[in-house]
Amino acid sequence: MMAVSPTRMSLLRLRRRIALARKGHDLLREKMDALVMEFFEVLRRVYEVRKEAFDRLASAHFLLSLCMASWGTVETEQAAREAAKGVVLETSVRYVMGVPVPVAEVEVTVRSPLERGYSLLSPSLLDRASEEFERALKLLVELAELEETARALAWELERTRRRVNALEYILIPRLEAALRFIAMRLDEMEREHFFRLKRIKALLERRERSGGGAEG
Amino acid sequence: MRREIVVVGDRETVTGFALAGVARGYVPSSREEALSLLRGLLGEEGVGLILLTHRLAEELGEELKRMVRGKGPFPMLLRIPDRTGYRPERDELEEMVRRTVGAEVVVRKE
Repeated sequence: MMAVSPTRMSLLRLRRRIALARKGHDLLREKMDALVMEFFEVLRRVYEVRKEAFDRLASAHFLLSLCMASWGTVETEQAAREAAKGVVLETSVRYVMGVPVPVAEVEVTVRSPLERGYSLLSPSLLDRASEEFERALKLLVELAELEETARALAWELERTRRRVNALEYILIPRLEAALRFIAMRLDEMEREHFFRLKRIKALLERRERSGGGAEG
Repeated sequence: MRREIVVVGDRETVTGFALAGVARGYVPSSREEALSLLRGLLGEEGVGLILLTHRLAEELGEELKRMVRGKGPFPMLLRIPDRTGYRPERDELEEMVRRTVGAEVVVRKE
Protein backbone atom coordinates (compact mmCIF):
# COMPACT_ATOMS: atom_id res chain seq x y z
CA MET A 1 0.00 0.00 0.00
CA MET A 2 1.23 3.44 -0.79
CA ALA A 3 1.03 6.43 1.47
CA VAL A 4 -1.54 8.60 -0.23
CA SER A 5 -3.70 11.41 0.98
CA PRO A 6 -7.33 10.89 0.03
CA THR A 7 -7.93 14.07 -1.87
CA ARG A 8 -9.43 14.75 -5.23
CA MET A 9 -6.09 16.15 -6.36
CA SER A 10 -4.18 12.94 -5.67
CA LEU A 11 -7.00 10.96 -7.28
CA LEU A 12 -6.46 12.86 -10.50
CA ARG A 13 -2.71 12.57 -10.20
CA LEU A 14 -2.98 8.80 -9.69
CA ARG A 15 -5.20 8.39 -12.72
CA ARG A 16 -2.62 10.15 -14.83
CA ARG A 17 0.19 7.99 -13.43
CA ILE A 18 -1.72 4.81 -14.15
CA ALA A 19 -2.38 5.87 -17.71
CA LEU A 20 1.31 6.66 -18.14
CA ALA A 21 2.43 3.37 -16.63
CA ARG A 22 0.07 1.45 -18.93
CA LYS A 23 1.41 3.28 -21.94
CA GLY A 24 5.00 2.55 -20.88
CA HIS A 25 4.09 -1.06 -20.36
CA ASP A 26 2.63 -1.35 -23.87
CA LEU A 27 5.66 0.32 -25.42
CA LEU A 28 8.05 -1.98 -23.59
CA ARG A 29 6.03 -4.99 -24.66
CA GLU A 30 6.34 -3.89 -28.26
CA LYS A 31 10.06 -3.42 -27.81
CA MET A 32 10.30 -6.90 -26.34
CA ASP A 33 8.47 -8.44 -29.29
CA ALA A 34 10.77 -6.68 -31.72
CA LEU A 35 13.82 -7.78 -29.75
CA VAL A 36 12.67 -11.39 -29.80
CA MET A 37 12.28 -11.29 -33.56
CA GLU A 38 15.68 -9.70 -34.04
CA PHE A 39 17.24 -12.18 -31.63
CA PHE A 40 15.96 -15.20 -33.52
CA GLU A 41 17.10 -13.80 -36.83
CA VAL A 42 20.62 -13.36 -35.44
CA LEU A 43 20.49 -16.80 -33.84
CA ARG A 44 19.59 -18.44 -37.13
CA ARG A 45 22.64 -16.87 -38.72
CA VAL A 46 24.82 -17.87 -35.76
CA TYR A 47 24.01 -21.53 -36.34
CA GLU A 48 24.61 -21.16 -40.06
CA VAL A 49 27.97 -19.45 -39.80
CA ARG A 50 29.05 -21.54 -36.85
CA LYS A 51 28.81 -24.76 -38.78
CA GLU A 52 30.75 -23.36 -41.70
CA ALA A 53 33.42 -21.80 -39.48
CA PHE A 54 33.96 -24.86 -37.31
CA ASP A 55 34.14 -27.17 -40.34
CA ARG A 56 36.76 -24.90 -41.82
CA LEU A 57 38.68 -24.82 -38.55
CA ALA A 58 38.59 -28.59 -38.33
CA SER A 59 40.05 -28.96 -41.79
CA ALA A 60 42.69 -26.35 -40.96
CA HIS A 61 43.69 -28.34 -37.88
CA PHE A 62 43.78 -31.49 -39.94
CA LEU A 63 46.16 -29.94 -42.48
CA LEU A 64 48.30 -28.52 -39.71
CA SER A 65 48.68 -31.87 -37.99
CA LEU A 66 49.57 -33.47 -41.32
CA CYS A 67 52.20 -30.81 -41.81
CA MET A 68 53.56 -31.31 -38.31
CA ALA A 69 53.71 -35.04 -38.83
CA SER A 70 55.44 -34.95 -42.17
CA TRP A 71 57.66 -31.90 -41.82
CA GLY A 72 58.14 -31.83 -38.07
CA THR A 73 56.52 -30.07 -35.16
CA VAL A 74 59.55 -27.94 -34.38
CA GLU A 75 59.88 -26.78 -38.00
CA THR A 76 56.20 -25.97 -38.26
CA GLU A 77 56.24 -23.99 -35.05
CA GLN A 78 59.37 -22.18 -36.21
CA ALA A 79 57.61 -21.25 -39.45
CA ALA A 80 54.64 -19.99 -37.43
CA ARG A 81 56.97 -17.72 -35.44
CA GLU A 82 58.51 -16.40 -38.64
CA ALA A 83 55.20 -15.88 -40.40
CA ALA A 84 54.26 -12.29 -41.07
CA LYS A 85 51.86 -11.01 -38.45
CA GLY A 86 49.70 -7.98 -38.41
CA VAL A 87 46.29 -9.27 -39.24
CA VAL A 88 44.03 -6.71 -37.61
CA LEU A 89 40.34 -6.09 -37.33
CA GLU A 90 38.60 -3.03 -38.59
CA THR A 91 35.95 -2.51 -35.95
CA SER A 92 33.03 -0.27 -35.18
CA VAL A 93 29.87 -0.31 -33.09
CA ARG A 94 26.38 -0.57 -34.51
CA TYR A 95 23.12 -0.04 -32.68
CA VAL A 96 20.28 -2.51 -32.93
CA MET A 97 17.20 -1.03 -31.21
CA GLY A 98 19.44 1.03 -29.00
CA VAL A 99 21.67 -1.90 -28.09
CA PRO A 100 25.35 -1.46 -28.98
CA VAL A 101 26.70 -4.46 -30.91
CA PRO A 102 30.12 -5.01 -32.46
CA VAL A 103 30.94 -4.85 -36.16
CA ALA A 104 34.28 -6.31 -37.20
CA GLU A 105 36.06 -7.31 -40.34
CA VAL A 106 39.47 -8.80 -41.06
CA GLU A 107 41.34 -6.66 -43.49
CA VAL A 108 43.56 -9.19 -45.19
CA THR A 109 42.26 -12.67 -45.47
CA VAL A 110 43.93 -15.12 -47.79
CA ARG A 111 47.53 -14.21 -48.47
CA SER A 112 49.95 -15.62 -50.97
CA PRO A 113 52.81 -17.80 -49.62
CA LEU A 114 55.18 -14.91 -50.37
CA GLU A 115 53.24 -12.53 -48.18
CA ARG A 116 53.23 -14.95 -45.29
CA GLY A 117 56.92 -14.35 -44.69
CA TYR A 118 58.09 -17.77 -43.62
CA SER A 119 60.85 -19.62 -45.47
CA LEU A 120 60.03 -20.52 -49.05
CA LEU A 121 61.66 -23.87 -48.56
CA SER A 122 58.73 -24.98 -46.45
CA PRO A 123 56.44 -27.69 -47.80
CA SER A 124 53.26 -26.90 -49.67
CA LEU A 125 51.30 -28.52 -46.86
CA LEU A 126 52.27 -25.58 -44.70
CA ASP A 127 50.84 -23.21 -47.30
CA ARG A 128 47.64 -25.16 -47.44
CA ALA A 129 47.33 -25.25 -43.66
CA SER A 130 48.02 -21.51 -43.41
CA GLU A 131 45.48 -20.73 -46.08
CA GLU A 132 42.87 -22.84 -44.33
CA PHE A 133 43.51 -21.04 -41.05
CA GLU A 134 43.18 -17.71 -42.82
CA ARG A 135 39.82 -18.73 -44.23
CA ALA A 136 38.72 -20.08 -40.87
CA LEU A 137 39.74 -16.83 -39.20
CA LYS A 138 37.56 -14.77 -41.52
CA LEU A 139 34.55 -16.94 -40.70
CA LEU A 140 35.33 -16.92 -36.99
CA VAL A 141 35.37 -13.13 -36.96
CA GLU A 142 31.94 -13.16 -38.56
CA LEU A 143 30.77 -15.73 -36.02
CA ALA A 144 32.13 -13.72 -33.10
CA GLU A 145 30.25 -10.68 -34.32
CA LEU A 146 27.00 -12.65 -34.54
CA GLU A 147 27.41 -14.39 -31.19
CA GLU A 148 28.19 -11.13 -29.42
CA THR A 149 25.16 -9.55 -31.07
CA ALA A 150 22.95 -12.42 -29.91
CA ARG A 151 24.38 -12.10 -26.41
CA ALA A 152 23.79 -8.35 -26.28
CA LEU A 153 20.22 -8.72 -27.54
CA ALA A 154 19.47 -11.51 -25.08
CA TRP A 155 20.75 -9.35 -22.26
CA GLU A 156 18.61 -6.41 -23.34
CA LEU A 157 15.64 -8.73 -23.70
CA GLU A 158 16.06 -9.89 -20.13
CA ARG A 159 16.29 -6.33 -18.86
CA THR A 160 13.21 -5.29 -20.81
CA ARG A 161 11.28 -8.29 -19.56
CA ARG A 162 12.15 -7.40 -15.98
CA ARG A 163 10.88 -3.88 -16.50
CA VAL A 164 7.67 -5.09 -18.14
CA ASN A 165 7.06 -7.46 -15.25
CA ALA A 166 7.77 -4.80 -12.66
CA LEU A 167 5.19 -2.53 -14.28
CA GLU A 168 2.64 -5.27 -14.80
CA TYR A 169 2.86 -7.05 -11.48
CA ILE A 170 4.08 -4.42 -9.05
CA LEU A 171 3.72 -0.80 -10.02
CA ILE A 172 0.37 -0.85 -11.83
CA PRO A 173 -1.42 -3.04 -9.25
CA ARG A 174 -0.11 -0.80 -6.47
CA LEU A 175 -1.29 2.34 -8.18
CA GLU A 176 -4.67 0.76 -8.80
CA ALA A 177 -4.97 -0.25 -5.16
CA ALA A 178 -4.15 3.29 -4.11
CA LEU A 179 -6.72 4.59 -6.56
CA ARG A 180 -9.40 2.27 -5.14
CA PHE A 181 -8.51 3.34 -1.64
CA ILE A 182 -8.81 7.03 -2.46
CA ALA A 183 -12.07 6.56 -4.34
CA MET A 184 -13.48 4.69 -1.38
CA ARG A 185 -12.36 7.32 1.11
CA LEU A 186 -13.74 10.09 -1.02
CA ASP A 187 -17.09 8.34 -1.28
CA GLU A 188 -17.13 7.83 2.42
CA MET A 189 -16.29 11.43 3.07
CA GLU A 190 -19.06 12.48 0.76
CA ARG A 191 -21.56 10.30 2.62
CA GLU A 192 -20.35 11.72 5.92
CA HIS A 193 -20.67 15.20 4.56
CA PHE A 194 -24.14 14.53 3.23
CA PHE A 195 -25.21 13.05 6.57
CA ARG A 196 -23.77 16.02 8.42
CA LEU A 197 -25.76 18.38 6.24
CA LYS A 198 -28.92 16.45 6.97
CA ARG A 199 -28.21 16.61 10.70
CA ILE A 200 -27.63 20.33 10.54
CA LYS A 201 -30.79 20.83 8.56
CA ALA A 202 -32.79 18.81 11.11
CA LEU A 203 -31.20 20.77 13.93
CA LEU A 204 -32.05 24.07 12.31
CA GLU A 205 -35.63 23.03 11.66
CA ARG A 206 -36.07 21.95 15.26
CA ARG A 207 -34.68 25.25 16.52
CA GLU A 208 -37.00 27.20 14.19
CA ARG A 209 -40.00 25.34 15.52
CA SER A 210 -39.13 25.84 19.21
CA GLY A 211 -37.82 29.41 19.35
CA GLY A 212 -38.04 31.03 15.98
CA GLY A 213 -35.30 33.65 16.49
CA ALA A 214 -32.03 31.78 15.87
CA GLU A 215 -30.58 32.32 12.46
CA GLY A 216 -27.64 30.35 11.14
CA MET B 1 38.95 1.57 -35.20
CA ARG B 2 41.69 -1.00 -35.65
CA ARG B 3 41.95 -3.71 -33.06
CA GLU B 4 44.02 -6.82 -32.56
CA ILE B 5 43.10 -10.48 -32.54
CA VAL B 6 44.40 -12.61 -29.68
CA VAL B 7 44.39 -16.39 -29.44
CA VAL B 8 44.38 -18.21 -26.10
CA GLY B 9 44.51 -21.98 -26.01
CA ASP B 10 46.74 -24.92 -26.76
CA ARG B 11 49.94 -24.91 -28.83
CA GLU B 12 48.40 -26.22 -32.04
CA THR B 13 45.67 -23.61 -32.04
CA VAL B 14 48.12 -20.80 -31.40
CA THR B 15 50.50 -22.13 -34.07
CA GLY B 16 47.72 -22.39 -36.64
CA PHE B 17 46.51 -18.86 -36.14
CA ALA B 18 50.06 -17.55 -36.08
CA LEU B 19 50.41 -18.97 -39.59
CA ALA B 20 47.30 -17.02 -40.53
CA GLY B 21 48.96 -13.83 -39.28
CA VAL B 22 47.64 -13.45 -35.74
CA ALA B 23 50.41 -11.79 -33.78
CA ARG B 24 49.39 -12.56 -30.23
CA GLY B 25 48.94 -16.12 -29.06
CA TYR B 26 49.10 -17.40 -25.50
CA VAL B 27 49.32 -20.90 -24.10
CA PRO B 28 48.60 -20.53 -20.39
CA SER B 29 50.05 -23.30 -18.26
CA SER B 30 47.68 -22.99 -15.33
CA ARG B 31 44.14 -21.97 -14.50
CA GLU B 32 45.30 -18.95 -12.55
CA GLU B 33 47.53 -17.82 -15.37
CA ALA B 34 44.67 -18.17 -17.85
CA LEU B 35 42.31 -16.18 -15.64
CA SER B 36 44.66 -13.28 -15.04
CA LEU B 37 45.61 -13.27 -18.72
CA LEU B 38 41.99 -13.06 -19.82
CA ARG B 39 41.19 -10.45 -17.20
CA GLY B 40 43.96 -8.34 -18.67
CA LEU B 41 42.91 -8.93 -22.26
CA LEU B 42 39.27 -8.14 -21.57
CA GLY B 43 40.29 -4.80 -20.17
CA GLU B 44 42.60 -3.91 -23.02
CA GLU B 45 41.30 -1.20 -25.29
CA GLY B 46 43.14 -2.37 -28.40
CA VAL B 47 41.89 -5.95 -28.34
CA GLY B 48 39.03 -6.65 -30.73
CA LEU B 49 38.66 -10.39 -30.57
CA ILE B 50 39.78 -13.10 -28.18
CA LEU B 51 39.66 -16.62 -29.54
CA LEU B 52 39.51 -19.07 -26.67
CA THR B 53 39.37 -22.84 -26.93
CA HIS B 54 36.25 -24.49 -25.54
CA ARG B 55 38.39 -26.81 -23.46
CA LEU B 56 40.06 -23.95 -21.65
CA ALA B 57 36.83 -21.97 -21.35
CA GLU B 58 35.17 -24.93 -19.70
CA GLU B 59 38.02 -25.27 -17.26
CA LEU B 60 37.64 -21.65 -16.23
CA GLY B 61 33.90 -22.11 -15.72
CA GLU B 62 31.92 -19.61 -13.66
CA GLU B 63 34.83 -17.26 -13.12
CA LEU B 64 35.09 -16.66 -16.84
CA LYS B 65 31.34 -16.15 -17.14
CA ARG B 66 31.44 -13.56 -14.39
CA MET B 67 34.27 -11.74 -16.14
CA VAL B 68 32.40 -11.66 -19.43
CA ARG B 69 29.04 -10.65 -17.99
CA GLY B 70 28.13 -7.08 -18.68
CA LYS B 71 31.09 -6.28 -20.90
CA GLY B 72 30.69 -3.93 -23.85
CA PRO B 73 30.74 -4.88 -27.54
CA PHE B 74 34.54 -5.09 -27.52
CA PRO B 75 36.58 -7.15 -27.02
CA MET B 76 34.54 -9.94 -28.53
CA LEU B 77 35.10 -13.34 -26.99
CA LEU B 78 34.60 -16.44 -29.10
CA ARG B 79 34.95 -20.00 -27.94
CA ILE B 80 36.33 -22.32 -30.59
CA PRO B 81 36.99 -26.05 -30.84
CA ASP B 82 40.57 -27.19 -30.55
CA ARG B 83 42.44 -29.70 -32.71
CA THR B 84 40.31 -32.54 -31.39
CA GLY B 85 37.16 -30.64 -32.29
CA TYR B 86 36.11 -30.56 -28.66
CA ARG B 87 32.87 -28.75 -27.86
CA PRO B 88 30.75 -29.07 -24.74
CA GLU B 89 27.35 -30.72 -25.11
CA ARG B 90 25.38 -27.70 -24.10
CA ASP B 91 27.19 -24.54 -24.94
CA GLU B 92 26.79 -21.14 -23.45
CA LEU B 93 24.71 -19.80 -26.32
CA GLU B 94 22.08 -22.52 -26.00
CA GLU B 95 21.92 -21.88 -22.28
CA MET B 96 21.32 -18.24 -23.03
CA VAL B 97 18.51 -19.01 -25.44
CA ARG B 98 16.83 -21.19 -22.87
CA ARG B 99 17.08 -18.49 -20.27
CA THR B 100 15.79 -15.65 -22.42
CA VAL B 101 13.02 -17.52 -24.15
CA GLY B 102 12.19 -19.77 -21.26
CA ALA B 103 11.97 -22.81 -23.51
CA GLU B 104 14.15 -25.12 -25.46
CA VAL B 105 14.48 -23.90 -29.02
CA VAL B 106 15.51 -26.03 -31.93
CA VAL B 107 16.58 -24.12 -34.98
CA ARG B 108 15.42 -26.07 -37.95
CA LYS B 109 17.62 -26.37 -40.97
CA GLU B 110 16.12 -24.97 -44.10
